[in-house]
Amino acid sequence: MRIITKDIRVQDEVLTLTNQRAVFWEKEKTLVVSDLHIGKTAHFRKAGIPIPSAVLDSDLNRLKGLMDHFETKTVLVVGDLFHAENNTDIDQFGQFLQHHENVSLELIKGNHDRLKTSFYESLGITVFKTHKDVGAFRFVHDEQHCGEDTFCISGHTHPGVTIKGRGKVSIKLPCYEVSEHRLILPAFSEFTGLNTKRTVDSAVCYGFTEKSVFEI
Amino acid sequence: MKNVQDSQGYQIISDWMQEKGQKPFDFQLQTWNQYHNGYSGMVVAPTGFGKTFSVFLAVVIDYLNQPEAYKKGMKLLWVSPLRSLAKDLAKAMAIAVEEIGLDWQVEVRNGDTPQKDRRRQERLMPDVLLTTPETLHILFSQKNNSRFFKSLHCVAVDEWHELLGSKRGVLTELAVSRLLSLSENMKIYGITATIGNLDEAGKVLIPYKNIKTKRIVAKEKKKIDIITVLPDEIEVLPWAGHMGVKMASKIIPIIYENNTTLIFTNTRNQSEIWYQQILKIEPDLAGQIAIHHGSIDAQLRNWIEDAISDGHLKAVVCTSSLDLGVDFKPVDCVIQIGSPKGIARFMQRAGRSGHSPYETSKIYFVPTHSLELIEAAALKQAVKDKRIEAREPMVLTFDVLIQYLVTLAVGEGFNEKALFKAIQKVHAFHYMTEDDWHWALHFITEGGNTLKSYEEYHKVILDEDGLYKVKSKRISMLHRMNIGAIVSDAMLKVKFFSGGYIGMVEEYFISKLKPNDHFILAGRVLEMITIKDMTVLVKRSKRKSAITPSWMGGRLPLSSYLSNYLREKLSESLHPKTTEKELKFLHPLISQQEKNSHIPGKDEFLIEMIETKDGHHVFMYPFEGRLIHEVMAALIAYRLSLIKPLTFTIAMNDYGFELLSDQAIPINEDTIKDILSKENLMEDVIGSINASEMASRKFRDIAVISGLVVQSQPGTRKNNKSLQSSSGLIFRVLEDYEPQNLLLRQAYTEVFNEQLEEVRLKEAFERISKSKLILKFATSFTPLSFPIKVDSLRQSLTSEDLDARIKRIRDEVLKQTQV
Repeated sequence: MRIITKDIRVQDEVLTLTNQRAVFWEKEKTLVVSDLHIGKTAHFRKAGIPIPSAVLDSDLNRLKGLMDHFETKTVLVVGDLFHAENNTDIDQFGQFLQHHENVSLELIKGNHDRLKTSFYESLGITVFKTHKDVGAFRFVHDEQHCGEDTFCISGHTHPGVTIKGRGKVSIKLPCYEVSEHRLILPAFSEFTGLNTKRTVDSAVCYGFTEKSVFEI
Repeated sequence: MKNVQDSQGYQIISDWMQEKGQKPFDFQLQTWNQYHNGYSGMVVAPTGFGKTFSVFLAVVIDYLNQPEAYKKGMKLLWVSPLRSLAKDLAKAMAIAVEEIGLDWQVEVRNGDTPQKDRRRQERLMPDVLLTTPETLHILFSQKNNSRFFKSLHCVAVDEWHELLGSKRGVLTELAVSRLLSLSENMKIYGITATIGNLDEAGKVLIPYKNIKTKRIVAKEKKKIDIITVLPDEIEVLPWAGHMGVKMASKIIPIIYENNTTLIFTNTRNQSEIWYQQILKIEPDLAGQIAIHHGSIDAQLRNWIEDAISDGHLKAVVCTSSLDLGVDFKPVDCVIQIGSPKGIARFMQRAGRSGHSPYETSKIYFVPTHSLELIEAAALKQAVKDKRIEAREPMVLTFDVLIQYLVTLAVGEGFNEKALFKAIQKVHAFHYMTEDDWHWALHFITEGGNTLKSYEEYHKVILDEDGLYKVKSKRISMLHRMNIGAIVSDAMLKVKFFSGGYIGMVEEYFISKLKPNDHFILAGRVLEMITIKDMTVLVKRSKRKSAITPSWMGGRLPLSSYLSNYLREKLSESLHPKTTEKELKFLHPLISQQEKNSHIPGKDEFLIEMIETKDGHHVFMYPFEGRLIHEVMAALIAYRLSLIKPLTFTIAMNDYGFELLSDQAIPINEDTIKDILSKENLMEDVIGSINASEMASRKFRDIAVISGLVVQSQPGTRKNNKSLQSSSGLIFRVLEDYEPQNLLLRQAYTEVFNEQLEEVRLKEAFERISKSKLILKFATSFTPLSFPIKVDSLRQSLTSEDLDARIKRIRDEVLKQTQV
């Protein structure tokens, strides 16, 4: 895994965007991720749709890679950590957490996080119901809990961007959507769709590939 | 051979017909005789000559001859591709049964059948059941369904030519295979219109060596009158669509001269435009004309169809939505707007008028630009030569196989060994290997990944009794909802705010609209209010004009048979026969083309190089249709870019394609042979396209049919929300983690067969390599190149800009050439 980074300055803070669907906040040693949707592949398999479990392996490997690379103290998930019910994917995630006890995991609950708070706590996760304020930032899942006069860091929309090539060729890439009061993270899980509609018209998007992070 | 005419049953039928003043057609008698002697087979007959009664009465006669051989329940199963067809056939059969004095029940079963009728049918099946391939498969997914078919004597597949060549055809093949396993001595009949590969069509439906088959071809022929509607003057520089406005006024008298006219257009978008245009020119027709296409609400369509039958309408603007279906007695005239793209389709549409035996079908051909007059000449010749396209059957469609396996597992369960044997006999799966079979089994039981099995995946399980079954109620329910091989685009229903459905539009189109935007659907100008629960709420608008949705997938490919005729007619166009008034009429254009450039002969291939202030253009004219030209253009661009790094803009129509670059294009007498070479063809094609992207689009249908994507029904609340995912996402995940998945392989195969049309592409390059290459340098656009140029402009400009721009180009060219 090759981690490419790009620092941006927001509210006089430096945030590091990576090409691995995560933001690192150096000052707080916090890795911010969103929309992991753990349990989604197993949920599909339960309904008779065979999605390979390697998707989760790869997501977790990527998370581990990022945590190691950045000397992370805290992983802050801004919502949709789990996709649906408690299933084998979540068991696997539980084991993953046991191997990383030195890193604390915090979760702002997302619309998919419908399991009981006590369940999250039993996995050692600190749960915030709607938001968490740290310095100049407010971390939320979706915009309904953004207050006025705060800079909101969220997920939920799975932002993506279409890049047009020659002729009729075009590709869609995940991206970070940054506007005056908002930063929306791309979904961390690879098994998620992309939404190319901007939340804020004037937003700047940072797309990324294996080799680069670039402004569009 | 026994003679059916010696039998008592025949006597009864013959007497009955005589009473009505009728006499069987030869082919009907032949069919009865064959059935009497235990044969299965194919009946080939044009519409309107009683092909239904050939097979239906064969079974009746046999029953009358030996009622003791028949058990209670279903005796004849009638499979037809269209719901609307079944309703009318059932009516005709029920009347016949009644008049003959049989106590048979004739009933329809499809998605519209009320619940209580279904339950009644399940207690005791009617003697004759008319249904669709999909509904038949849904029956297979019921518990204890084999009892429905134990008494079956005959399965008839109506309009087999329509099913053949699609995945619905494969569903039908599989259904026949299952029915045969339940009722060994059943006879199988296919009923079809004439197609280019009748032998193959027969073998696909009845591939069983132990079944005696024969083909019966009706001698009766439909006479077709083709009349070309000529424009007032010929445009030397034609462009598609432009002539439409002027031509619309020409069809008004035709509408008035006839009782009921069907006006066929090629796309839903075109039909909306023509409907508006006709009403604009002739407002008196309001209330007497209607519009009919696949995106109009089914209820509204039914109402229109009834109105046609009852003779209440003067004209209906339609698309292929009315290619098939009930015969409308009042229809005595058909108008085809623009190219029909295929000979079979043209004849089929013509046949929608004057369908009683011995009546002549009348079809007017209305060109939408002057070059299409060549097409008129080509169509006339093709109809005269009776050259009709083949329908290629689909093979190794693993998505359909997987659906079928799960269907059986949901139903009664299946035995692996017996089913493998049976499926290998089915035409579509003749070449399925044992490995493929095991992969499919593994896919439905373990999840496809051969290295790992998933503990929570229990779609199909091997039960203690040795049968593969689905045990989960939820999976059964999801599967039943998903049975079938028709995959529609993501559509939203359109409904008046005050109530009443109008039709459907693609999600893609509506996503670009904002509240208070206006659009046209079903001939009405509508204002969008909001979107809720997969439904677009609208209100009527007072505006006269608005944008028309362009539904995707509307463009039909040009058939290779028709392309052949096109090339032939073009090469003859300089010296047309006296009877070919279209070509004579076109002479000013043809001579301009010859003067400015060249008219390619039969063994020539024309390349035009034109330099304008837009840049350097290359035009080539393979006449292979838009789809192939897209591939060819990308390929040529790729080969050119190997000589010199260039960026091209690509444009095409059914006749040829254009490459435009801001720099000189390295085509000359020396390089042209290599650029058009047939060597390394497929390698270069793969280099020039994004195969993965194309396969990902093809994968959409595959994912839905094989149950990887849960389809949401338009108009209903999105259910199973947590199971929503796009086929593109699943495609990507499988490409990354399970590249050996056969469904992925199938997507690539479909790209090569359908999108790239590998066989046809190779033939085209073969032909080009044998042709004399004619390289012409022109100083301005030629009659052949102009329409392609306009098409590419259209994509980038708004319509007002477009008109002005075209006028300017046209003036420039005419000025130059007149000097």
